[in-house]
Amino acid sequence: MTRDVSFGQYMPGDGVIHRLDPRIKLILLIAYIVFVFCAFNFVSLAVISAATFAAVMLSRVPLRMYFKSLKVVLIIVLITSALNIFYGGGDVLWQWGYLTVTKDGIFRAIFVSVRIVLLILLSSCLTFTTTPTDLTDAIERLMKPLKALHVKVHEIAMMMTIALRFVPTLLEETDKIMSAQKARGADMDSGGIIKKVKAMTPILIPLFVSAFRRAYELAVAMECRCYHGGDGRTRMKVLHMKPLDYVSLVISGIVLAGIVLCNVFFASIV
Amino acid sequence: MSFISAENVKFSYDEQNRNVLDDVSLKIKKGEFVALLGHNGCGKSTMAKMLNAMLLPEWGVVYVDNMDTSDEKLTYEIRSNVGLVLQNPDNQLVAGVIEEDVAFGPENLGVEPQEIRRRVDDALKAVGMYEYRTHAPHKLSGGQKQRVAIAGILAMEPSCIVFDEPTAMLDPNGREEVMKAIQSLHDKGITIVLITHYMNEAVLADRVIVMDKGRILTQGKPRDVFSEVPVLKRHRLDVPQATELAYRLIGAGVRFTDMPLNAEECVKLLEEVLG
Amino acid sequence: MSLIEVKNLGFTYGVGTPFEKKAVDNLSLSINEGEVVGLIGHTGSGKSTFAQMLNGLIKPTEGQVLIDGTDIWAKPKEIRKIRFKVGMVFQYPEYQLFDETVYKDISFGPRNKGLSENEINKTVRKAAEFVSLDDSLLEKSPFDLSGGEKRRAAIAGVIAMDPDVLVLDEPTAGLDPKGRDVLLAQIMGYHRERKNTIILISHSMEDVARIADRIMVMNRGRLEMIDTPKVVFSRVERLRSMGLRVPQITRIMTELKQKGYEFSDGILTVDQAFDEIVGLLKKEGKL
Repeated sequence: MTRDVSFGQYMPGDGVIHRLDPRIKLILLIAYIVFVFCAFNFVSLAVISAATFAAVMLSRVPLRMYFKSLKVVLIIVLITSALNIFYGGGDVLWQWGYLTVTKDGIFRAIFVSVRIVLLILLSSCLTFTTTPTDLTDAIERLMKPLKALHVKVHEIAMMMTIALRFVPTLLEETDKIMSAQKARGADMDSGGIIKKVKAMTPILIPLFVSAFRRAYELAVAMECRCYHGGDGRTRMKVLHMKPLDYVSLVISGIVLAGIVLCNVFFASIV
Repeated sequence: MSFISAENVKFSYDEQNRNVLDDVSLKIKKGEFVALLGHNGCGKSTMAKMLNAMLLPEWGVVYVDNMDTSDEKLTYEIRSNVGLVLQNPDNQLVAGVIEEDVAFGPENLGVEPQEIRRRVDDALKAVGMYEYRTHAPHKLSGGQKQRVAIAGILAMEPSCIVFDEPTAMLDPNGREEVMKAIQSLHDKGITIVLITHYMNEAVLADRVIVMDKGRILTQGKPRDVFSEVPVLKRHRLDVPQATELAYRLIGAGVRFTDMPLNAEECVKLLEEVLG
Repeated sequence: MSLIEVKNLGFTYGVGTPFEKKAVDNLSLSINEGEVVGLIGHTGSGKSTFAQMLNGLIKPTEGQVLIDGTDIWAKPKEIRKIRFKVGMVFQYPEYQLFDETVYKDISFGPRNKGLSENEINKTVRKAAEFVSLDDSLLEKSPFDLSGGEKRRAAIAGVIAMDPDVLVLDEPTAGLDPKGRDVLLAQIMGYHRERKNTIILISHSMEDVARIADRIMVMNRGRLEMIDTPKVVFSRVERLRSMGLRVPQITRIMTELKQKGYEFSDGILTVDQAFDEIVGLLKKEGKL
């Protein structure tokens, strides 16, 4: 059951997007999220949608995986668009008691749903094509300037790395402890909320004990390998910007310009 | 000149308790393969941590390559020179990708990136895990994880590796994989200190040291130490069935020209006896 | 009638996904009351999956498990009851300890079973006695025990449910040789008194050879053999092809026999080997 997590999973591959510098990918993701919210009319929305679909296709990750990610947010999309349909101004298209559906409302609903879908597609595109390690690495390197402000960049990145490393291990362990307690007759499926929370104790306590034991052992192992914080530490992987990275920056610049132009030349809807 | 030399080491984890190490002295030569035996709680794991400055003696001194382990300026030099591989393979791996994990040690030492790359590739090849370099640790078997942990130590290019019960949590196949890796490191000239319960692993060593209650009980060539079957049994150690059979036959008056340590030797010796 | 009947049992992981894998494949066998069965096979042979189907932790995708003649999944809502009948000790069971005191921890199973306070007290103390846990330890926190004591407390937690079948997955893993021998002796002592059925999963052929009435060998999800240790360990080549060994003593005696010495088949212990060799030497007047 805990093994079926598919949202945000890395999909090995060798597509164009896979080969991009993770720092560029992260910056581009943030930029595109801004673009999505900067699109004020259907034409600019179409431009950013086209750019997103291009990215999805270039990622060479099976579309099925993207649909799986979208399924997770389907309910949010439905609820927000339903709310928007009924709360618009403008021409009334249909009315039933207090509920009025307006043209504006429908436009708004479409806008909101498309935006959410684009956000999910873009962030999935990043996580499908970038290993968690590369991602942490990119975050560490991009945050480096914050060191001047006494932000513990290296420590934060190290914690993220360790967390990512141990999530699968602890999930597996949870499964095991759960089976062991069930084998002792633990009843975890029946009863009300309070009973269910109580039934979690025999799982949570061993899990915590084990997590602390692992933490201790890991600390020993890290010390044995001469870990002493970020000072004087080098990295095996050196990130170099390649032509591909510059090209993707230029293309994204063009997309942004397109969106700005469309916003200027066409009437804004939202 | 010994590579590692411990002199009259005493240590206890808290004041009321008896000494976990009680006046232990030992010398290890460069390139030697030493097995350290003893039951749980005999002090052998504490001894292991003494050898790479993870613990410091309360009394006595430990020298590694002429460096006093209590000299704080030398701590990292000592730790990179004497690597320590621990029991639980899961809790030694830091990163979510094999090669990144192996790079962890040299990264801490501030080694140049290209040099780290070379060391990581060499270390992974040495333990036969190179093809897995981009995999995630949790998908590997116990034996494979332990080999990655060994590679992680190897990448610091130590001249000695201490193994603290590296096979205790592994299945027989994993045990074999890890022991093969250890042997090949020994063949390359790396000094090995292997802490284990398993006699069939200890017989591979040049010298066996048996510890009990924080002291060294006996030491010598595997064949000599393992001939003392009653001593081993008394100290909760396991005796290979081949050795036990020979020991009992000798007791019944059968003459053996040598003490067998494994099945092949036992078959050969019994053939001599049976004619 | 046998206590456990397994009919065409199968389990496939991740049906309909690319990770689909048959863990247990068309397995049938029966186990009698009071039998000690050793279960061997290398990692990934389906041993654990099979064991977890015996107490309903895993629901088979094919076939059935009958205990006392009834399918354990006949009433899926009552599957929890089967856990008290088939007790299961997982690998490294000390990692499941959680309660304030050892006593409370051992009583977790019996309490879930619905026993009265009085009965719980009796069964907990009895279980602690089987694994030689001193009374003074029962009021301690389980986290203050030594490694070996923790292991025994965890096993007591399953014994205290008084199951008719006790499944143990590598109960001696990680213990030192003496600790291993002592724990096995305690389990066997419990077995002799309670006369229940024991299924012991182990990588140690020496241990299995010593205590099992019958040994089942699994390979790639299939049951390859189920027979007496003597028969199973006489098939050295077959076992080797599955990545399994035979006890060292068996190997020595088999090799000598192949060289023409007159020894019996399937020698499993040092005692037997000693008798055989001394017997032969005496017969030939060499001793």
